[in-house]
Amino acid sequence: MRPLDLTEKDPSKRITIYFEGKPYEAYEGEKFPVAMLANGVYWLTMSTEGRKRGAFTFGPLPIKVNGVKNVNGRKLKLMDGMKIERQRYDEFQEQVKIDEGKPVLRYVVDVAVIGAGPAGLGVVEEIGGKLTVALIDERTWLGGDMWLKGVEQEGFGDPREVIEKLTDFPENVRVFLKTSALGVFDKGEYFLVPAVRNDQLIEFMAKRVVLATGAVDSIMLFENNDYPGVFRRSDALEVLNLWNVAPGRKVAVLGAFPDEITAELDRWGIDYVVVPNPKRVEGKERVERLIDENGNVYEVDAVIMADGRIPDINPVTQAGGKLRFKRGYYTPILDDEHRIRDGIYVAGSAAGIKPHYANYIEGKLVGAYILSEFGFEAEPCVYREKLGDYEPVARPRPRFQLDSFNAEDVHLCGCDVSLKKVDDVVKAGITDLQIIKRLTHLAMGFCQGRFCLFNGAQVVSQRSGLPMGRLDIPVARPPIKNVKMKVVAGRE
Amino acid sequence: MPTRSLPERSEITVIGGGIVGVTIAHELAKRGEEVTVIEKRFIGSGSTFRCGTGIRQQFNDEANVQTMKRSVELWKKYSEEYDFSFEQTGYLFLLYDDREVETFKRNIAIQNRFGVPTRLITPEEAKEIVPLLDISEVVAASWNPTDGKASPFQSTAKFAIKAEEFGAKLVEYTEVKDFIIENGEIKGLKTDRGTIKTGTVINATNAWAKLINAMAGIRTKIPIEPYKHQAVITQPIERGSIMPMVISFRYGHAYLTQTAHGGVIGGVGYELGPTYDLNPTYEFMREVSYYFTKIIPALRELLILRTWAGYYAKTPDSNPVIGKINELGDYYIAAGFSGHGFMMAPAVAEMVADLVTKGKTDLPAWWYDPYRFERGELRGQALQMG
Repeated sequence: MRPLDLTEKDPSKRITIYFEGKPYEAYEGEKFPVAMLANGVYWLTMSTEGRKRGAFTFGPLPIKVNGVKNVNGRKLKLMDGMKIERQRYDEFQEQVKIDEGKPVLRYVVDVAVIGAGPAGLGVVEEIGGKLTVALIDERTWLGGDMWLKGVEQEGFGDPREVIEKLTDFPENVRVFLKTSALGVFDKGEYFLVPAVRNDQLIEFMAKRVVLATGAVDSIMLFENNDYPGVFRRSDALEVLNLWNVAPGRKVAVLGAFPDEITAELDRWGIDYVVVPNPKRVEGKERVERLIDENGNVYEVDAVIMADGRIPDINPVTQAGGKLRFKRGYYTPILDDEHRIRDGIYVAGSAAGIKPHYANYIEGKLVGAYILSEFGFEAEPCVYREKLGDYEPVARPRPRFQLDSFNAEDVHLCGCDVSLKKVDDVVKAGITDLQIIKRLTHLAMGFCQGRFCLFNGAQVVSQRSGLPMGRLDIPVARPPIKNVKMKVVAGRE
Repeated sequence: MPTRSLPERSEITVIGGGIVGVTIAHELAKRGEEVTVIEKRFIGSGSTFRCGTGIRQQFNDEANVQTMKRSVELWKKYSEEYDFSFEQTGYLFLLYDDREVETFKRNIAIQNRFGVPTRLITPEEAKEIVPLLDISEVVAASWNPTDGKASPFQSTAKFAIKAEEFGAKLVEYTEVKDFIIENGEIKGLKTDRGTIKTGTVINATNAWAKLINAMAGIRTKIPIEPYKHQAVITQPIERGSIMPMVISFRYGHAYLTQTAHGGVIGGVGYELGPTYDLNPTYEFMREVSYYFTKIIPALRELLILRTWAGYYAKTPDSNPVIGKINELGDYYIAAGFSGHGFMMAPAVAEMVADLVTKGKTDLPAWWYDPYRFERGELRGQALQMG
């Protein structure tokens, strides 16, 4: 077994790959960052300003594969003999292949459900069999965040058993995994949802759209928070429970919601320490130690941020939704039937952070509203009542000790936007988030603010004294997920 | 930076806090005038922060060449004094047939007459300037190394900060609702945050200029309509990869360059409207990708980070409207820039400040005469792309 493997892998799939010229053991079809992690290699790429980056915090993962630059390492499935090297974010391939591309795939459905977590599955369970559905998810699996859980979930029991039951779909439900929706566009009586799967452009025409697009883990602010070996909770869960690889042999758990990961670490017998007040991580090529605000030093090889989740507001604002600040985060303003506007519904943690079961019920509720719209009998009130038992989780106001940090080393965003860059603009007298965004490029890079805008807003709010709810929050622009130009460049 | 509360009075009030309004206020304040800018959202939010960043002197008529020559001088001066990014990395027009070449030879002659050093170069020379270009169909290029690009964010913010240092007041998130007029004289403006007493008003609202004109009761025919134009930006790539603004009329009236931050930015001639809608469209994303990858094949493998829309506030001849409207006291307009407001702003600011303080200017303001539409004296179409 490789140093961080938790289970024996299929020996018939064993292959050798080369990273920076050195051979490593890997398994065919394994994802590149997972194989490197299993071998104890965390540092895989570099930001434009030359900061060392891994795969599990934030930022893109461009790598050179067999001499070709700017390949997305997160999606790379390994094959025997692959030669992989690090690169900087801004290196790109000058000589490219030119082909006509694949013809666009087109589907016309009653309802496009974006996101196949418990909420999306709830919608489909309610309307499947009665309406035609396209269920779209960018991940390789159904069940969203819940599929990654190894421990029982409130209201549900064993997560995998539940999801297997929920994904036994009727015929009129088509599932599109590894498919990223690029946005929602109005087209008369329909909505156009363009999406991309492996460089294949797909156009969905749907009468109704459900944004069951979920939440993102919040990124915590501390020095070198972008360093290889810093994990978002969701990525730690994925390597543990999907790939059976440990994030580290001794890890530190940070943030306001440590329970969301410690039970999983216990299950695998991984040694951890909970540190409520991180100040800095250090190491040569990866995390080797964590120092807290009191100066305590923890020798760890990984840290996991479990600071709760915030709704991913990008799909909502792109589709024309408005936001309000409630319970410590931004959520879409919904009408009585969970719509941001006519025809576009929101369900699940995209609407507010709740347990998986509540998201599922919210999906059923939205499904019932849609059924009524199409003239079917439905009983939304039953689900509405049930959902009433689950008040969304409030997020404690984070206590950033902004002034105690070395601001250059604290990163708001994977695209080299340090706390210092934002602070310098604020010190020049500019306190408008919209202008700070444009002067620092906060929320203008690869993630379009999914991970960084919230922290940017927190810092601006803290520095300017303006409450979060009064900040002018930038709207996401299409495509809501990065897409290669060649994918949309084709012409029929 | 911006003053948040509305002052009780101001000698001069500029409506509109885009680059044009902000540089006008900067120029007036520098000359010792009392001036306030009222912006309904945040500075630059209308069209400036949505622009394609280009600054060129390669126009097809004398007036615009002269105006832009002065503007480039000012861009250079202020970027050095105020420390913002303005790079003279040139404009490269790719030409694909003899007809295009003949047209550009005429343009180059006009430009050269006013000291703009544009010249016709070979496709191979063009490729030396931008090695990523596909020149297989290019027959020549029109190249002026003194054209350039600037960061709309940095420049507008710096002009705003400096304008305030000179005493101007910038009031954001405040919308002008009505004019207070007595006996044909402006007495003040009503806003959603109170009233300001003022005698001179400059309409610098570009896409919204017709609404402000109507509010002021102007009857002179000044046709300015908002058209939706969109832009794209890719992931940042190594700086210096695409230095000039590259133009191709053959491929979709496209313009593209690399920002100081590294992303490849630009647009194509895909116009919608007149409309105030600014939602980016899927069709644009496809069009711009089709054309851009023809011009620079390496863009095929780059990620699109974002598309967005802004206004070309267009007049029938694509030239702006700059000058005094005589039917109402001290009312001026500087609007209808038809996609050229960002690049022209520093010269326009000088022009308007001259008109307001001296009643005349050495710059060719006559070309932008607000009464030309009423008189049926349209100018030649200003060279426009995107």
